Amino acid sequence: MRRRTFVGAIGSGAALGLAGCLTQDGDESDDSNGDPEPEELDLEGTLEVVTYESMIDGDNPAGPWLKEAFEEEYPDAELEWVQLPDQGIGHYINQAQGGQEIDADVYFGLNIDDLVSVDDNLEEGGLFRGLNADRIERSSRIRDGLDMGDPHDRVLAYDTGYISLVFDETEVDEPETFEDLTEAAYEDALIAQNAQTSDPGQAFLLWTIDAFGEDGYLDYWRDLRENGVRAIEDWSESYYGAYMNEERPMVVSYSTDQVFASAEGNDLSRHQIGFLNDQGYANPEGMAIFEDADSVDLAYEFLDFVLSNDAQAEIAERNVQFPAVEDEYVDLDDEFDQYAHVPPEAVTVGYDDLRGNLDEWVDDWAREFASQ
Amino acid sequence: MSATGRVAAGRVRAWLERHAIGLTALVTAGILVVMLYLPVGVVFVEAVLEDGTPTLGHFADVLTDPFYFGILADVFAEPLAIGTHLGSLAGWLAAISISLTLEYPLPGVDLPVPWLAVDTPGVRKGLFGFTAYQAALSTVASVVLGLPAAYVLANYEFYGRRTLRSLTILPFVMPGILVAVGFYAMFGRAGTLNGLLGTVGLGPYAFIETSPLAIVILAHAFYNAPLVARLTVAAWESVDARTVETARSLGASERRAFRDVVVPQLAPAVLTGALLTFIFTFMTFPIVLALGGLQLATVEVWIYDRIQRLDYAEAATLAILETILSLGLTYAYLRYESAQTGFARAPSPPPKERLVPDLRTALSPRRLAIFGYGLVALVLFVGPMASLVVGGFTDGSGLTLRNYSFLLERQLEGASFQTLPLPAIRNSLLFGVATLLIAVPMGVVISVLTARTGRSGTIVDTLAMLPLAVSGIVFGIGLLQGLVFGIPLPGGWRFQVTGAVAIVVAHAVAAYPFVTRNVSPLLTNLDPAMTESARALGASRFRALFDVELPLVANGIVAGAAFAFAISIGEFSSTVILASGGESYTMPVAVERYLGRRSGPAIAMGTLLLAVTAASFVVIDRVGGRYEL
Amino acid sequence: MTELRLEGVSKRYRAGTDETTTAALTDVDLTVRDGEFFTLVGPSGCGKTTTLRTIAGFEEPTDGTVSFDDEPMAGVPPEDRDVGVVFQSYGLFPHLSVAENVGYGLRFRDPPGGVSVDERVAELLELVDLEGMGDRAPDQLSGGQQQRVALARALAPAPDLLLLDEPMSALDARLRESLRRQLTRIQSRLDITTIYVTHDQEEALAISDRLAVMNDGRIEQVASPQTIYREPETRFVAEFVGDNNVFEGTVVARDGDRCSVDVGGKTIAIPAVSNGAERVHFCVRAAALSPAVEQNQLSVSVETSEFRGETVRAYGRWNGVPIVLQLEESPADEITVGFEPSSVHVLEP
Repeated sequence: MRRRTFVGAIGSGAALGLAGCLTQDGDESDDSNGDPEPEELDLEGTLEVVTYESMIDGDNPAGPWLKEAFEEEYPDAELEWVQLPDQGIGHYINQAQGGQEIDADVYFGLNIDDLVSVDDNLEEGGLFRGLNADRIERSSRIRDGLDMGDPHDRVLAYDTGYISLVFDETEVDEPETFEDLTEAAYEDALIAQNAQTSDPGQAFLLWTIDAFGEDGYLDYWRDLRENGVRAIEDWSESYYGAYMNEERPMVVSYSTDQVFASAEGNDLSRHQIGFLNDQGYANPEGMAIFEDADSVDLAYEFLDFVLSNDAQAEIAERNVQFPAVEDEYVDLDDEFDQYAHVPPEAVTVGYDDLRGNLDEWVDDWAREFASQ
Repeated sequence: MSATGRVAAGRVRAWLERHAIGLTALVTAGILVVMLYLPVGVVFVEAVLEDGTPTLGHFADVLTDPFYFGILADVFAEPLAIGTHLGSLAGWLAAISISLTLEYPLPGVDLPVPWLAVDTPGVRKGLFGFTAYQAALSTVASVVLGLPAAYVLANYEFYGRRTLRSLTILPFVMPGILVAVGFYAMFGRAGTLNGLLGTVGLGPYAFIETSPLAIVILAHAFYNAPLVARLTVAAWESVDARTVETARSLGASERRAFRDVVVPQLAPAVLTGALLTFIFTFMTFPIVLALGGLQLATVEVWIYDRIQRLDYAEAATLAILETILSLGLTYAYLRYESAQTGFARAPSPPPKERLVPDLRTALSPRRLAIFGYGLVALVLFVGPMASLVVGGFTDGSGLTLRNYSFLLERQLEGASFQTLPLPAIRNSLLFGVATLLIAVPMGVVISVLTARTGRSGTIVDTLAMLPLAVSGIVFGIGLLQGLVFGIPLPGGWRFQVTGAVAIVVAHAVAAYPFVTRNVSPLLTNLDPAMTESARALGASRFRALFDVELPLVANGIVAGAAFAFAISIGEFSSTVILASGGESYTMPVAVERYLGRRSGPAIAMGTLLLAVTAASFVVIDRVGGRYEL
Repeated sequence: MTELRLEGVSKRYRAGTDETTTAALTDVDLTVRDGEFFTLVGPSGCGKTTTLRTIAGFEEPTDGTVSFDDEPMAGVPPEDRDVGVVFQSYGLFPHLSVAENVGYGLRFRDPPGGVSVDERVAELLELVDLEGMGDRAPDQLSGGQQQRVALARALAPAPDLLLLDEPMSALDARLRESLRRQLTRIQSRLDITTIYVTHDQEEALAISDRLAVMNDGRIEQVASPQTIYREPETRFVAEFVGDNNVFEGTVVARDGDRCSVDVGGKTIAIPAVSNGAERVHFCVRAAALSPAVEQNQLSVSVETSEFRGETVRAYGRWNGVPIVLQLEESPADEITVGFEPSSVHVLEP
């Protein structure tokens, strides 16, 4: 699983309680008209789509299905998957800084913090095109609150996940609030991830910033640390290493955990989902078109295609993520609904708040944690 | 061919032979410039530039930050305020207290042990201090766990000894994620070890929770004790047994002869192993965080973070400090090594004893100690790998083959843009063999050029260790910026290096120091009169090397070649960066790509990786063994 | 065959980290004649091995030239110099058999006289009395046998020059003597120009046609053994060669072909000193000091004496000067000996 895949943010402004500095922008985007629709669409040729590993190489991933279905619908087109380089968005930022042309057309799997990184390092609103929403008919199907908050309208969400706790109900009771985790009942109980190296780790950190504000989160983490929380490098080690070998009874993970656990034949008592404060931290994944894209028309068609009923269902079920479109535009298996849990309330920290703050938040947290 | 043609061809061959060493050295230098100095330089230069103007500000910032350097930061900030620093040292010393207490070292076992508790007031070690601290502990653990293995492998004969010796470096190729998962599967509360202890009514013990630092150190020993063992076995098998006999005949006891004669001949190898272990564990990255968590963060973690956040200046500054420390240690060690001037005439290792000649001997204290060590080795080295492999065959409902059927299915039905198991295996083996073919001449030529050349040779030798002393993360990003993106040249050209050849050469750059470190001590120990006799008899320097020196250091070359192969097989970061086309993926890359929300496919691929590598090591040692003495 | 010439050869090494250099050889001039058995002798560190290595091409001189038959050797690597070398440690190849060792040089040069490699190897093994040992490993041979293998190996390609660097020093005295005879026999039979390095003056005097005594990187004297023995030019040579009593004194009177010298308060008569020097060094051989001579009598306190068969060698002191005597009988603690002025050899200042 790629390190930086599962973090993102959606704007659900009401949920943000940060000390006055976090506000949700409305749509002030007058540069959103982006690319005007040409008279005649050029739907021939190759569309190069960059994406992360598990979209292509995972167990029964959505990538191959998307390619096949897209090429069926656009017979003159070929979709070419490109492995996202190891450094993720940083690779393309470096390339743009070096004045090199980027070959790929579409970036599939973009997070809000990727955009923040782009705008912090390149010129404002760079690297990707401002999208012309009129050319993507199905963009109106995207659920409220999944607009990802980019003031330059470069990105559309295609799915989302929620960070939650996964716990063993035979060992601990479900924690109700963040404060519960600092109680004696949960001493040495929680496995989290390092926010520097892990996406769920960073999401969980942002969730605590949402809950306690940027002036309060470090105090909360001090309490957590005193209560024995451990921040392990990555989700894989924390989950498949520590949690599944019963080192501890609680881990920061995904609300879709039971989908995998039931497929593996595991006892679900160790796969209970806990939504702290009745919330989950939302991680939408987005798609964007590179400024340098050659096949712009095909790219627009691809974005629209990804939001179609079938594609949304396949992405959701194969990748075990939640669709980005409203319920009426997608049909999911009952089993998916049974095991994939949606939090009563989704929270996230949006683009405007991350901008200029994210690095410092994570760094302050990590220095506090790693001080020797 | 005409007579003149033959003469001309003979001349060309003679010329090539005469200049073979020089040419190899030239090619080696060229490779190092392009594949090492350029990429590393591209990143390092960021540390001394601020908006294009030279500065030492980044170093000042890092050196005076207590987070990085703890109490030393004050010293760096005001190096001349000696009185103040001595005052705080005195205050610290005065606050130390020593007390005798009873401790219960085994969790859950009621066995009190008198314990001399030294209570020191907390010292702020800083990130560098802690990194060095855990590296030092890991080095001690690796040497302590590696030497008995070397002793047994070099001195006893038993069924499967050669195979076991071949397999000692297997842990070296394991991707970090698999080591972490393997350790949890072995030592976790629901792990294999607790399962076994449970069958005799013990446990379960929280091995990892009790001391994450201890587990991290054991994991480092898992990687590095085999390195120490392999280096030491090669040296032990090159010991001149006649010197032992001479010492015995002069009245030395067995123990005394060992101490006076064998130990000095082994010391360079053991210290090389310790040095490499310290450097590796100083720059450790995934393992500490995977097993210990962020509380045990090391410098490399911060370098990774700074690179991810595109703060190259600080990343480069931290990496340069790491490199200075590593090269400093290397230089100190190499000065010591070159001061060792015992000329062994020829390896004539002591004959190997049978490990279990009969039951009586098998119960002698020494044999029992060996079996005890064998048990520890079984738990520590075999345990994590075996637990991992078993994990690939099980799921929540019991035994399963679905992870392997995933691999089979992917191989048979996978699309061209997907990662397929067989090409990964094929690429790994091809790259491994090609790496070996490049790294061995590179490593040997550096050994030849630096052996017995005094201080200047030591400096060259130290610089030749640079690949080990540079942060892997920085090297990777340097390859990306310097070679993949390329360097713009005048006239609109761009100097770019990618693809399979670049991967192999990058692997060779990472691998040749192992060849050098295995070969150099043996080469230095050869009587120079042998080479000089050969030269006086008409052999060119190259022929003398080829005919006389190389056969006599074959042990070291085979060990170095095995390391080179292992480095190539296990290498991950520069492979993914240089495999820009996507076709040049290797087994570790496949492991990483198969790793998703289900761990099974990655573990199955990891098991294949272990199996293929193990088979290769056996072949390398068997083929190489023919040239050993 | 070959004549070897060294002209103004100097060799300096850089010492440590600073810029200073230490001289291993200073301005060495030497001519070794065709077919000669020539020895470099001197204490350890005197530069004799450096000289040999410079001739072989393992070291390049800092200054000066080495030439074989007037052909300058500068820049010629060892493998192209056609020299055979035997080292103190022999440098046998332990992974090759005795025959392969001897035949190694024939991989690069054709055997002389049109014979095959195998024939040449057998010939050489016979020459050094090791017939039938060809299949052995060097480790299985005794020290003396190993030394002879090394010699055979060096001779196999019929080199122009044979260089021997203390080849006997690892062997016991008796073996050394028999090997020495064998070596001179082989050398004269092959008539090969030979440079022999040793720190053992007895050995040097015994086997050489001529020898050079070296000290501190310089050549003190080049001459035949007889001349070196009887007419050492310098105090160093006189002392190094042994059997010599060296005195130092002040000329107090000159009288025709004699002059009187004050040595520590005693006046001694010696042959006239040609120049007008005030201070003079001279030596008297041990055998010339005799109780029967009444001139120049010295009363020597004897410290030790050694039985040497026909003679007794006694060591003692006179006036603080170390004295060596060659007597017919063991002396008492005190003995008075004298010497003829004609037996005095005056040394260069």
